[in-house]
This record gives sequence, structure tokens and C-alpha cells, in this order.
Amino acid sequence: MAEYSILVVEDEHTLRRLLEYRLGKLYTVRTAANGEEALEKIAEELPQLIISDIMMPKMDGFALQTALQERKDTRAIPFIFLTAKADEASRLKGLRTGVDDYITKPFDLDQLLSRVERLLDRTKMFQTQLDARIGKDFSRKLMPKRLPDVAGYRTLFYNSPRDHGGGDIFDWTEFRPGSYFITIGDVMGKGLQAKFYAFSFLGYIRSTLHTMMHTTNSPAELMKRVNQALMGDATLDDTFASLLLLRWEPAKNMITYANAGHCRPVLTGPRGSEILTHSDIILGLDQNAQFKDTSLVLNPGSGIVAYTDGILEQRMKSGEQLGEEGIIETVESAYGSAEPVERMIDSVLDDSETREFGDDVLIFWLQRLAVREHREPRWFSPFTDVSEGA
Amino acid sequence: MQATAMNFFVEPVTHDTAVIRIGKALDFRNAAEFKTTAQDQVHAGVRNFILDFTDTGILDSTGLGSVFSLYRQVSPLSGQVVFASVSRPVQVVVQLTRTYKVFRQFPTVDAARDAIR
Repeated sequence: MAEYSILVVEDEHTLRRLLEYRLGKLYTVRTAANGEEALEKIAEELPQLIISDIMMPKMDGFALQTALQERKDTRAIPFIFLTAKADEASRLKGLRTGVDDYITKPFDLDQLLSRVERLLDRTKMFQTQLDARIGKDFSRKLMPKRLPDVAGYRTLFYNSPRDHGGGDIFDWTEFRPGSYFITIGDVMGKGLQAKFYAFSFLGYIRSTLHTMMHTTNSPAELMKRVNQALMGDATLDDTFASLLLLRWEPAKNMITYANAGHCRPVLTGPRGSEILTHSDIILGLDQNAQFKDTSLVLNPGSGIVAYTDGILEQRMKSGEQLGEEGIIETVESAYGSAEPVERMIDSVLDDSETREFGDDVLIFWLQRLAVREHREPRWFSPFTDVSEGA
Repeated sequence: MQATAMNFFVEPVTHDTAVIRIGKALDFRNAAEFKTTAQDQVHAGVRNFILDFTDTGILDSTGLGSVFSLYRQVSPLSGQVVFASVSRPVQVVVQLTRTYKVFRQFPTVDAARDAIR
């Protein structure tokens, strides 16, 4: 499928056919015999580039170009004028706002093709840069600025979004005193669109948590609501997301989770690591989907490692993807080190096909400390008066 | 009558059932083409889709999303989407997303054809 569509505006039949034929090998080409026809074609669908003659009956090239300049959606379409060599005045007049190039007739077709290619490349480059900038902004807003800080626990987070990555989400909230909700998910798709949907989707989750706060604290119940909301919303039509909802109650050392088709987290500890196997169907497919809560107690030193598919699908030297077995091994080898998440990243990259990640990577590590954290004691010096109001 | 559409080979079974052969990959690069191919079939009256994953080494989330879209489109029309000859990489994704509850699987295209007919 041709990536770009070009509109050729030329009243001379033979030249129009020639351009249509040559450009048609590389692009989708539509044609018009004058400015009026061109505007009709543009109204049907915006082309990515316009090549126009100047002297034409009904509406000439200048009038067409002026009309396009007046409209916001057509102003930025790259525009090439074909001018007759004899008509020097037109050529100069042609060098005006909104005209990106002019080509003098009779012209060399290869030269025209290379200029078209250059213009389209440049437009694409601007678009890519803009997308990357907006994408980065979304990624930043989708990730937390800080993590929960709870005595006796350690929380670590790693995220490296890529320009063409997908819609990873991570969020947490202390939804009742001493009870935290942690959200990890992935909205299917790639690029800006996925990021945009991820952003809206996160809004859904937050509002569902907020609304249901007084009714339930069950991740499965919340999951069901989020799924129904997702499926009932026309703007989020065709949005599918995997989601892991964790309720964490540090005082009880309890974790309760529901998993909707998301990468299955790892339970790790001094006795080894294993996958937390229970999961249900991904969100957005089945209106009546049911979800189940699973609870577990975190013993001293044990923790949960949750992640998204970027790391799971990383291509390794073996030619295979890292996979769940690979994840378990990686967690196992990182357990006990001072910076386990960094250790995980390093060991995965060391064994990767190329030493970089092919997709967004997100890891959340939550661990109960083996020994209760030693907090700095308060010192009361007999020589300094530290009493209230001093 | 047989028709090829871009990368995807479509083989009609009955007036409302067709096999789409997914090639080596269904991912962010060709998911849009898959959608167009499937869309044309739906417009032509096809309701049941057999997806042949024999050669498929890559199925990413965008690709899977396009299959999900098809499912959401045909299921209200009493249609179905089934998977045939599922390769290992595809099986991994299906397991992960727990979608085997939605997409019936058959060992071969012929088995799927017999079951659906």
C-alpha cells in the first residue's frame, strides 16, 4: 500500500497522464484538470502533497494555492508549482508563501521525483519529531513522580519508554488509610494512539477507584467495573488492555490481586521465586467477564515483582523471547542485591540480541524487608533544650 | 474464487465463512492491512473467520488487537473467530491474555472448517 497520496493538478491531458503514471509507481495519485476540480478532490480526502500547473482554465494555480492558504487543514500541505519556462514573472510570483518548490517546464521527470521524495521525507520527519515530543509528554504524565513509602517495606520502580513504544500504565493510590491500590497495565497498540488511549484509560481506573471506594475494596470487583466501562464507551471502542490491580495492606503484610490478562507477576523471597498463576481474560473483549481475587501473605524478605510485556518479549541471544521462565531466573538472580531492579535490567540486557530494549520496559518491585527497617532514633540531648515551643 | 489482499491470503469456505492465512507476522507493521482485509470480508457477508497461524512467528499486541477488533465486530452478528494450527509464539500470547476462552482453537484448518460448517 502506498504510504503517501499525491494530487496532480494539470489541464494538459498528456502531461497529467504521464505524471499519474510515473508517480503512481511510488504513490497513490489522484488528478484534477483545474483548481476547482482540485478543491473538490481535496475536500474528499487531504493529499500529502500537491503538484500544480499555474495556467489552467476556470481556476488557475495561484487561485488554488490562495484558497488552500486560507484553510487551516490545507495550509501545510507541501505544494509544488509547475511553471512554463518562458513565464519568468510567474516563476517569481510562484516564490510565495506556502509554495515549497517550483519546477520549470519542460522538466526532467527524475528531478521532479527526487524533489517530491525530499519534500515528503521532510514532512514525515517533522511529524515523527512532533509525535515523539507528544509521546514523551504522555509517557511522563502516565508515570508516578513518587512511590509509596511504608516502614518495613521497599518499593522500586523502573520505566524506560520508547518513542514508538506502547501504552504502559502505572499508578498507585492510598485509597484508604493503610490500604494501597497499585495499577499496572498495558493498552494494546503502538505509538501515540496507544499512549493517548492509555491516558484516557488511566482516568477510567482512577474514577472507578474513587467512585467505588466506599462500596468495595475488591480488585476483582473493580476490574469488572473497569471492563464494563471500557466496553460501554464509544470513544474507547477497539481499546483492549491488560491490567493488574493489587491491593496492598502493609500492616497485615497482605496482597490481594486480580489480573486481567496481564503479564503474571513473580513472587520472590529467600526460598525462591514463582509465578503468581491466576489470571482472567484481558479487558475490552467480553462484557460479562468475571474476575477473581487472590490473596497472599508476604513473609519477611519476600516480595512481588510486576512488569509489562516489553521485558517479557525482549529478544535474547538465543533468538527466543525472554519469556516467563527467563523472568523468574532474572528475578531470582537479582534477589538480595542492593539494587535488584537495576540488576534485572543489566542481566537481561547482557543476554539480549542487541544491548537495548525493543519496547517500553516497566518493572515494579515491592518487597517486605527481612528485618524491620532501622529508623534513625531521635536524639534528645541533655544539653540542648528541644522541648516544644522552645 | 480466491482472493489475495496484501499479505493476507483469504480462502472462502462458504458464503459466510472464510479462512485468513496469517503469514509470518501479525504486528504493528501490518495490523492495519489485516483490519482492511477482514473488513472487506465482513462487508461481503462473512461472519465466521478461521485464522490460520501455521507460519506465524510474531504476534504482538497491535496484531492481537486487530484480531480482537474483528471478534468484537462479528460476535454481535452471531459470528465467530477461531484459531487454527496455532504456532508456539501465538500460543504464548493467547495464554498470557487468557483469550482461549473466547477464541476456539483447532489443530488444523480442516478441523476448524469441519467444526464451523
